Amino acid sequence: MHDVLTTCVYCGCGCGLYLHEHRGRVTGSSPSRNHPVSRNNLCVKGWHLHEFIHHPSRLTEPLMRKNGRLTPVSWDEAMNCAARELGRIAAASDGKAVGLLSSAKCTNEENYLLQKLARAVLHTNNIDHCARL
Amino acid sequence: MAGLATTFGSGAMTNSINEIENAQVILLIGSNTSEAHPQVARRIFTAMDRGARLIVIDPRRTLMAKRADIHLPIRPGTDIPLLNAMMRVILDENLADDLFIEMRTENFYGLRDMLFRFDLEETVRLTGVDLARIRAAAQLYGRAQKAVICYCLGITQHVCGTGNVQAIANLAMLTGHVEKEDTGVDPLRGQNNVQGACDMGALPNVFPSYQQVDIDDYREKFERAWHASLPGQPGLTLMQMTHGGKNGPLKAMFIMGENPVLSDPVSDRVEETLDNLEFLLVADIFLTETARRAHVVLPAASFAEKTGTFTNSERRVQMVRRVIPPLGQSRTDSDIIMDLAGRLGYAMDYESPAEIMEEISMLAPIYGGMQHDRLENSWGLQWPCWDRSHPGTPFLHKYYFTRGRGRFTPVVHEPPAELPDDDYPFLLNTGRIYHQYHTGTMSRHSALLSREAGEALLQLHPEDGRRLGVRSGDLLRMRSRRGEVQVKAELTETVRPGEVYTTFHFSEMPVNRLTISAQDHFSQCPEYKICAVHLEKV
Amino acid sequence: MKDKYLLKKDHLLPLLRKLKKTYRLIAPVRNTHGDTLFTAIDRLDEVRIDLDKQPQNSLKQFFFPQQEVLFTYDNPAGDSYHFQPVVEESPPSLYFGVRPCDLSAVLYMDVVFLKDAKDPSYLQKRQNSILVGLNCNDPFASCFCNVTRSGPFIDFGFDLQLTDLGDRFLVEFDRSRGQEIITSWQQFFAPAGEADVKAQYQSFLEARGKFSLQVHLDQAVRKLALGEVPESVWEELSMRCQDCGGCAYICPTCTCFTIHDLQTSDHAGERLRSWDACTFSGFTRMAGGHNPVDRQMRGIEKRFRHKLQFDVKKDNRPSCVGCGRCVNICFGGTDIVRFINMTCCENS
Repeated sequence: MHDVLTTCVYCGCGCGLYLHEHRGRVTGSSPSRNHPVSRNNLCVKGWHLHEFIHHPSRLTEPLMRKNGRLTPVSWDEAMNCAARELGRIAAASDGKAVGLLSSAKCTNEENYLLQKLARAVLHTNNIDHCARL
Repeated sequence: MAGLATTFGSGAMTNSINEIENAQVILLIGSNTSEAHPQVARRIFTAMDRGARLIVIDPRRTLMAKRADIHLPIRPGTDIPLLNAMMRVILDENLADDLFIEMRTENFYGLRDMLFRFDLEETVRLTGVDLARIRAAAQLYGRAQKAVICYCLGITQHVCGTGNVQAIANLAMLTGHVEKEDTGVDPLRGQNNVQGACDMGALPNVFPSYQQVDIDDYREKFERAWHASLPGQPGLTLMQMTHGGKNGPLKAMFIMGENPVLSDPVSDRVEETLDNLEFLLVADIFLTETARRAHVVLPAASFAEKTGTFTNSERRVQMVRRVIPPLGQSRTDSDIIMDLAGRLGYAMDYESPAEIMEEISMLAPIYGGMQHDRLENSWGLQWPCWDRSHPGTPFLHKYYFTRGRGRFTPVVHEPPAELPDDDYPFLLNTGRIYHQYHTGTMSRHSALLSREAGEALLQLHPEDGRRLGVRSGDLLRMRSRRGEVQVKAELTETVRPGEVYTTFHFSEMPVNRLTISAQDHFSQCPEYKICAVHLEKV
Repeated sequence: MKDKYLLKKDHLLPLLRKLKKTYRLIAPVRNTHGDTLFTAIDRLDEVRIDLDKQPQNSLKQFFFPQQEVLFTYDNPAGDSYHFQPVVEESPPSLYFGVRPCDLSAVLYMDVVFLKDAKDPSYLQKRQNSILVGLNCNDPFASCFCNVTRSGPFIDFGFDLQLTDLGDRFLVEFDRSRGQEIITSWQQFFAPAGEADVKAQYQSFLEARGKFSLQVHLDQAVRKLALGEVPESVWEELSMRCQDCGGCAYICPTCTCFTIHDLQTSDHAGERLRSWDACTFSGFTRMAGGHNPVDRQMRGIEKRFRHKLQFDVKKDNRPSCVGCGRCVNICFGGTDIVRFINMTCCENS
């Protein structure tokens, strides 16, 4: 059993909380007492933060549309297809026909990488996220 | 956030969340704080237990409104005249902070002239709030030593969202309620890392740290750092990307961890746009409504399976730590992006998220002193944090505004894009509820949260319920000029007659089929808070 | 002095090191972020055992975890279900530094989970546990165990118990397993003298005088029993409640749970037990949607009545142990201390 301090992924308050790991599974979450925001309590979403992590409907393998259906494929096949298509359309339109949506759920590092991918690799400024929603 | 950027120079919370506890007056506008930002509500309640007064401006009688000292039940979309009226009262009663205006602001006369031409009686007619209450609220706010304004999407999700924010900033500057601790203007950010995504430049017009893409100096700096030539024209915004329709500007999209089919207005249009793409790539943790339409879906790791940082509403950058390895074959989004870049012929070679953060801190001045080792052994740092010896910034605009002087920007009323009429007599307002979150991708997979709130309900005033012959739990057909959904009614006096409220968490009741695509001219924020609908019992 | 021993403070760590060879050691550990939590210790030299701060978690999460699998089921052919109970083997565990409030809470949970029907999962963990208590010389700011009579000192329920006497601990045992530890590791223990026992009594008297909260618990209990709590109290508290469930989750004696089934494949699934809180509306809502409890008016009522009225009637003592964890954490400022104060100040 291990407790790992992390940051809540729901609203913008940014509570510091512990996730409890037990035999490879996250089985609980509880607030940090000294964290400046959470101060030893969480809202109902924070207290139940662990529940979605191991939900059986989590995606665990890459899917590709074949004959109209999403079918499990290998990472290699999925990524090759993605790179080929994005690369082709970006090159043909000088980046104008590709768009990327980043996520307010992802980390800063991931957001940084995605906008770098958009600008430096796909040559487009068509990148945004749901800041206004 | 364009509103605060033009007046203060920086579009983030000026205070820390804990400072709210020490305020004497809290003005809450367009925020259902106790449901959407519980920890902020906790500070407000603590402040009230210590004697602070609460003013709530909200068309609904939310729990915050019930506990408020003064509730101004405003007609939706009339925030600007109400705020202007408060400012006029403050001027008339000599409650303005002349020294602050003199030393720290510009264009005061522009605002003053507009306010003196302003008709208070007209305000009463527009907003539906009587003058005595407006006056009482203005006096309370104007006389306070330490006063905080908190606002949220109830302000920004209007066609005049930027104007609303500018009016708030005017009010704060007029009374000098900005530069001090426990005093300021606090936009509450809705998502855990929406502040960070903005800071990182996941926006069409800026690089990380809000460095504009069309300014050559900034672009050249990033070209040198990234060894690539970069486009200088600002790109398309989210709404332009997802609402292009059949002949939209895009042929391919990569959507990472978002669900625009449920979250964006006029879902039919979004679906049409996505369905007509040549290629749609989605990375997500669940097969969302958006992912179902993709050509390739990549399984992403959840926040418990990766290391990195989030930036909260008070600009605090904090660590997210890996608890377990990615489930099944899923991979972190950074691994996915690095792999993709590699296959596209651009090497992104980072051994860890810490290395990515090192690059960020070199290129984004406000993150200058933020490296993982510093964040690891603290409760995070609040930007701006210029270098490794900088302790972070709990509250902004001390001594000077980010843009130099704060600029008064007079704004006038702009009516909503669509108001109720004979065919569509009800005004629909949308937002969140306590137990669910956004499009429900995470929260609906939690058993207890779904037990507490498992389906969408339409809040309807009992008087309207009687007129329509509807009781709580009855099914209603709700129609707008754009679409139709069926939803269960919940009779409550939280809403006023003629106004209804519901949430967008539930895919069974995609309310964004109904909402309007009208948006704010500056920020492109869609007007989720007002559209006209017709209701009938099924 | 019979059955009372001394352990030098310098010898505490060596003793724990010996015990750790036999038991999984769980103790309050101050982590690098500054929080103190009961933690299972892997390496004794790499952690800082913290006996100066109250651990933010109680032992509840060890005996009655926030979420656990009760059994798995499958129905491969679609005709009949097969059930497989899941009772995890719990290694013999030694809980060190358990304060009297938390010890009392475990004794209360024993009644809930073991008195009539025996809960297999709880029983397994509890049977394999050794509780080493620590009396409280210095109550913390939110503590009120003096009025719940579960502290600051306790004289039963532990296997071993320590009292800090400056440079040494006075050691007592209440169960044979505690005695066995003293016998097995007698090189650590010296018999205590009369002066040591007097010193223990002196620190008990001093500790009783150090509580900073004044809580009129008995008065609230009496008013509840007599039905003299004004409606306005329930109404005000329920309106303040923000529905987080935090008070119940953090409480060492709140034992309500819910169960739900999680389908893991087309033909199989597992039944999970998770913490629940009586303040949630889903706790009382019935299948048809009717809720017998009006949350707006009395959402918080059940929690306080259970602790201070129903359990008093049943067991002659309240099931609040006065640990103070729920004090100052409520979003709406609705903790049990506020309730007690409101009850005692307002007249019906």
